[in-house]
Amino acid sequence: MEQNLRQNAGRNQEDMLQEETKKIYKAKVSRIEKVSSSSYFIEIDCGVKVEVKAGQFISIYCEGLTFRRPFSVYSNENGKIGVLFKERGKGTNYIKSLKLGDMIDITGPLGNGFDIKNKKSLLIGAGIGSAPISFLKSKLDEIGIENLFACGFLNKNEIPTGMKIDKIYTDDGSYGEMGSVLNYLGVLINQFNPEIIYVCGPEIVLKTTYEIAQKYEIETQVAMEKVMACGIGVCRGCVIDIKKDGKIINASVCKDGPVFWGSEVVWQ
Amino acid sequence: MAVMTNILQTDLKGLILKNPIMTASGTYGYNDEYDEFIDVSNLGAIVTKAISLNPRQGNKNIRITETKAGMINSIGLENVGIEKFLEEKLPVLKSKNIEFIMNIAGSSLDEYVKLAKICAENKIKAIELNVSCPNVKSGCIEFGVDENSLYELVNSTRQEYQGYIIVKLTPNVTAIEKLALSAQKAGADAISAINTLKGTQIKISCINGGIKKSIISGGYSGVGVKPVAVGAVMRISKTVGIPVIGIGGIETLEDVLEFMAAGADAVQIGTANFTHPDTAQRLVLELNEYITKNNFKNLDELKRKLRE
Repeated sequence: MEQNLRQNAGRNQEDMLQEETKKIYKAKVSRIEKVSSSSYFIEIDCGVKVEVKAGQFISIYCEGLTFRRPFSVYSNENGKIGVLFKERGKGTNYIKSLKLGDMIDITGPLGNGFDIKNKKSLLIGAGIGSAPISFLKSKLDEIGIENLFACGFLNKNEIPTGMKIDKIYTDDGSYGEMGSVLNYLGVLINQFNPEIIYVCGPEIVLKTTYEIAQKYEIETQVAMEKVMACGIGVCRGCVIDIKKDGKIINASVCKDGPVFWGSEVVWQ
Repeated sequence: MAVMTNILQTDLKGLILKNPIMTASGTYGYNDEYDEFIDVSNLGAIVTKAISLNPRQGNKNIRITETKAGMINSIGLENVGIEKFLEEKLPVLKSKNIEFIMNIAGSSLDEYVKLAKICAENKIKAIELNVSCPNVKSGCIEFGVDENSLYELVNSTRQEYQGYIIVKLTPNVTAIEKLALSAQKAGADAISAINTLKGTQIKISCINGGIKKSIISGGYSGVGVKPVAVGAVMRISKTVGIPVIGIGGIETLEDVLEFMAAGADAVQIGTANFTHPDTAQRLVLELNEYITKNNFKNLDELKRKLRE
């Protein structure tokens, strides 16, 4: 009986997909590979064309776990959605164990992506936070917006293969210039003269980038990260404080974000 | 995709639903968030996020964490407040073919009474009382843990509101069935159980020889609480005569059947909505199929058989 139920459940979901496009997919793993000493690339074939904005994310159901795991989109070719991930715990361990052809359950694209402005853009990524920024770069290149993509990593082994980065910095100097990308931000701004900065990485990187950019009076968009339960703005589990109309209010990283203007975030 | 059948019709003695699958408060927002995933009108009913008299910002710090078999939340009833709910959310709910139940939460008896009055004025058909809120006036002891305060709360609400009242009970008591009885005596139309269990998670990490702790205390929910919930529903349904709505860790059709065998007339899906946003809709379809396939006349007959 149990097996019957499961089969039926599957069939019902397929029927549903045929009838209307909802943001929930049974998708096939079409590529999975290690791309640096600590990160992996997985590409998921949704079977249909899916529009994704840079900065939006997908949520992957990981067998046996209550929370789906959210990942910023790194690439999207006609519904083949790619993300980069690091092995951090049970969720990413499950995803790492997936094989080509495995069917997985994803929701998305979720959240608000970067609000692309037709302005000379400086793109800052740190570590795995380089993924959505790299996707943003490809979008800017497509539209023809002048940009510079600078990225910081711990060392050269951490740089994902295949990622097209203009300027690389490593903490240990094993590739590119030595030190944090943040140490070079002022120089980058002076040399490139950006009108807008987009950044993704650990919260301290976002905060510092915003603070430095503010000194130069350059507006900044930051892509935030938080533990999420629902991923769609319902549970209110991933809220941060933002400033709006002179008041401090809650904004959910999953639905109102994950991209915010640096100036609206109440930095901790 | 609509389920064109009435074999799932669920009569909760005063509230008729198209099927017994509801969504639990706090896990379904005010419904519109789920439009992108399912056809919400397929569900028996949705219970709104708890609404309080005034808007609430909710708690600071860590609000959610995953556990081995579910999650702990400490949201702190963040909500838009009743005024904004009536203005913005209610028209949307009313414009759709959705049965909804308004979950209300107060911090004093007076607030519940006011909320009930407003619900009556706005012709809200059904409400669910979240009685797991601390009663500020009696030293912040929760209404739902004391038979007398619960009686007073339900009774006072009843006097202001003639619609359908569901009382959502907390499991953090010695004998939940006694509280159910108290709610029934005070005029409740149905009991829903269980709300979350009290729980704590301490995450420990060792950085440079120092211990760093991340602590979250709140309501524990998800698949791990199911046996507690089934037990509670069984004891309650043996004690009271009003309908019982089972809540707690429901993910599969087997879970739904288990709750019904324990005496639940309907069920609410909570945490599972986060894992799979289409859980409730899937369960409606599976329940429908189960009844048809096994040649039961309808849901009522299935429930009878489950309880024999």
